[in-house]
Amino acid sequence: MITRLTGARVFDPANGVRGEVRDLFIADGRMAAPTDRADRSYDLGGLVVMPGAIDIHSHIAGGKVNLGRLLMSEEHRDELVARGPATRSGSGVATPSIFATGYRYAALGYTAAFEPAMVPSNARATHLETADLPIIDKGAYVMLGNDELLLRLVAAGAEQERINDYVAWMMRATAALGVKTVNPGGISAFKFNARGLAIDERGPQHGVTPRQIVQMLSRAVFELGVPHPLHIHCNNLGVPGNIDTTLATIAAADGFPLHLTHAQFHSYGTEGDRHFSSAAARLAEAVNRNPSISLDVGQIMFGQTVTASGDTMAQYRNRAFASPGKWILMDIECDGGCGLVPFRYRDSNFVNALQWAIGLELFLLIEDPWRVFLTTDHPNGAPFTCYPHLIRLLMDRSFRNDCLAAIHPAAQKATTLGSIAREYTLEEIAIATRAAPARILGLAGRGQLGPGAAADITVYAEDGDRERMFAAPRHVFKAGVEIVHDGAILAAPPGATHVVRPDYDPAIEGVIGAFFEQHMSVGLGHFRLSEGELADAGLSLVAQPCRPRGRA
Amino acid sequence: MATHTIACPFCGLVCDDLGLDQDRVDVRGCAKAAAGFARRPAIVEHRIAGRAVPLDEAAAAAAKLLGGARLPLVSGLAADLAGIRGLIALADRLGAVIDRWQSSAQQANLALQQHAGALTATFGEIANRADVVLLLGADPAARQPRFFERLLRNGGALYRTAPPHVAFIGPAAAAPADPAVSERVFVAEDALLDAVGALAAIGEGQKLAATTTLPLPALSALAERLAAARYGTIVWDIAAFPAAARGAALAILLRLMRQLTRRTRCVGLPLGGEDNAQGAATAMLWQAGWPGRLSFAAGVPQHDPWGNDAERLVAAGEIDALLWVAALTAAAAPKSGVPTVAILAADAPEAAAEVEIRVGIPGIDHGGAMLRADAVVALPLTAARPSGLPSVAAAAAAILAHLPAAS
Ligand code: SF4
Ligand SMILES: [Zn+2]
Repeated sequence: MITRLTGARVFDPANGVRGEVRDLFIADGRMAAPTDRADRSYDLGGLVVMPGAIDIHSHIAGGKVNLGRLLMSEEHRDELVARGPATRSGSGVATPSIFATGYRYAALGYTAAFEPAMVPSNARATHLETADLPIIDKGAYVMLGNDELLLRLVAAGAEQERINDYVAWMMRATAALGVKTVNPGGISAFKFNARGLAIDERGPQHGVTPRQIVQMLSRAVFELGVPHPLHIHCNNLGVPGNIDTTLATIAAADGFPLHLTHAQFHSYGTEGDRHFSSAAARLAEAVNRNPSISLDVGQIMFGQTVTASGDTMAQYRNRAFASPGKWILMDIECDGGCGLVPFRYRDSNFVNALQWAIGLELFLLIEDPWRVFLTTDHPNGAPFTCYPHLIRLLMDRSFRNDCLAAIHPAAQKATTLGSIAREYTLEEIAIATRAAPARILGLAGRGQLGPGAAADITVYAEDGDRERMFAAPRHVFKAGVEIVHDGAILAAPPGATHVVRPDYDPAIEGVIGAFFEQHMSVGLGHFRLSEGELADAGLSLVAQPCRPRGRA
Repeated sequence: MATHTIACPFCGLVCDDLGLDQDRVDVRGCAKAAAGFARRPAIVEHRIAGRAVPLDEAAAAAAKLLGGARLPLVSGLAADLAGIRGLIALADRLGAVIDRWQSSAQQANLALQQHAGALTATFGEIANRADVVLLLGADPAARQPRFFERLLRNGGALYRTAPPHVAFIGPAAAAPADPAVSERVFVAEDALLDAVGALAAIGEGQKLAATTTLPLPALSALAERLAAARYGTIVWDIAAFPAAARGAALAILLRLMRQLTRRTRCVGLPLGGEDNAQGAATAMLWQAGWPGRLSFAAGVPQHDPWGNDAERLVAAGEIDALLWVAALTAAAAPKSGVPTVAILAADAPEAAAEVEIRVGIPGIDHGGAMLRADAVVALPLTAARPSGLPSVAAAAAAILAHLPAAS
């Protein structure tokens, strides 16, 4: 069956298509070469077509998200999703139930979202949960850098190759697409009652510094050929003056690629009466200068949400701002942790207002749209349902300035946002939400509409109000099937799970096995996921290419 | 014949070091596991009104019975994760209430997390780190026979150099006999809440007047030990507290742990997790948004801790059909007086149910996954003695397939 989409303006940055009117062809769920035959035709004259959007960093599943759901019970009660002919019921916005998560993403034109903080020991539970995630593609980054065995190996002076083997083994064992490190060394240090860890500070027990961890992990990910660079949540999240840590982290990677996640939370200075200032310009300058650095912003939006993070050390500090006043901290299996703190960001609060402006400054001051990704760090800065509003802020300067005029007056004075003229174009939005995420994650045939690519397609009606435009796609196709039409979910087939499978020297398994045997509460054979069990749970795995790279 | 290791589904520890040689299971000395793995199928045919039928026919009858009800209840829920996922899907389609059976204690723990929060840790963290451990209310080994061996007497703990100081506070009759316990402080069941309150008050520096109901010197010494600990751990069995005292006791414990965390580390571990209770709560959280006490009757999930309590609904006669599910246990359906579909393990006795579907035991007849009581680690279950018995997931899917399409 061949489906033809005619007459739309197409934005397909990966293939250099920049709003030209093109006909598109779909065969067997993939984009196909032009042909005269078509079994079905959609007249999309006057409409805008982009590849399905991809969220590179969104906390959508796993133990931490479930604790978030627990804390957000009031919101769940107020935000109910009725079951429909093709859909399950659900609830919640900041921590939507898994079905609601898939439907809402699809209804916004997203066809993939990636869980960025999978603790190794929670991998099985996380994947089994995403077996229920409808429609969108998914995958997860495994959290390393606070795991006891890695810290030991680093402390013992293990060669880079051993670290590479360990990372590769962990990625395969947990069916991961990428590697994330969260407050490297800091989560472990907090378990020893440390309340902070600076980048060159020796952690408890092993005396390993965050810098060493960043160096070895960023290099491991590069040398293994994992497409996505080390995804890093730097030390000192949320602390005024943390820009120094963030810049030092970039330096620590020694030129190996790094992806700085929710960079907004790591771009703070200490200037001004309140000792809290924007350092977005400093970070943007560093990113503009360093082609090996990418980031996602983690934009905040005013309103209620819950922060969900592996960073127990930071979340313990943040408990003071919990609203409502409840919070959860959990230490996990000598490999990680999680902390949940509900937040209400207020435009009348100086710090929150400036955080909002800092995120937008980052978006607008970083020149290369291929290296800055549109995220709210869902749900930490705001629920992903805010994306259309965020897109309007980026595309519409006068709207942005109207919003700016409504925030805390001292924050208005402390930001350069009002003087920034840049407006994102539709092409730049298509890059930052489609082409660039697919490229940096190494997703073959995603985020683009060339022949052979997955036919994940979003169709919008042109609207000067970009929020309205992006909030309500006319059609969304997943693997060539129309699954959303004018906001209604027509079908909810499961998406794929993307993984990479780097190679390792099997000798590492002896080291890991002995460690598990002596110290851990599960055996190696049960820690490791099997492809059979994932398939039995209904997951279909897609292995993305991974080619080892020599030393840089 | 090489032995390989398998996980045990018979309590919330889900120990994964049991040996399997052919079809013989080395239960590592655990009586509960021995009893579990000794279960043998007795009734394997599915039945409608006592008549043996193929699965599909039984599923069709179940769909008719449940689909025609005004308010069906799905309970029991002693199933592996795949089974639970399937049962929630079924409840959603039926517009049913879904709730575990006798889950008041679990719901008390969850309610405090919902409304106030938690400071907690997984088994592996506690086993490697805890240096001062308080056991409140009951002997953990009563629920989890290998609790001490796996968490407190484990060799090779990474971060403690000496065995932990383990103190029990609770009724003498419930005191653990395990040699890991270094101190036993006897407090009657009805004074447990006061004991917890005293611990917290002492920890906050209050001077308490002498009383005959509480051993204050011992409690003071324990409060000091927790304050001096590197990684204090408080383990409680909330079911051992009087029902009316549970909420208050949990709130005070959280306050105590928060207070201690200002200077050192302290975490809490609620006991539980039998019959994949944690898996059921977690799957309901991810599928619907709440960890139990759910009704889909209005076409949306609604959580009502009192209204959707399975035991209360049965006792009050508010339901008109019951789907009872027990695969990890052989528990019979409660007497409800309403038409019943029973999905039962093959060793369960004959049921007084209109429709009876016989299924395998996860971890014996078929594989699967189960969540440990610490809510983080899901373990794979192996088919120790594979059989042709269907799983709960297969039974739920078969019933769902016979229901009319959702509208
Ligand atoms: S303690 Fe529990 S999980 Fe471990 S072997 Fe005994 S019954 Fe099985
Ligand atoms: Zn995040």
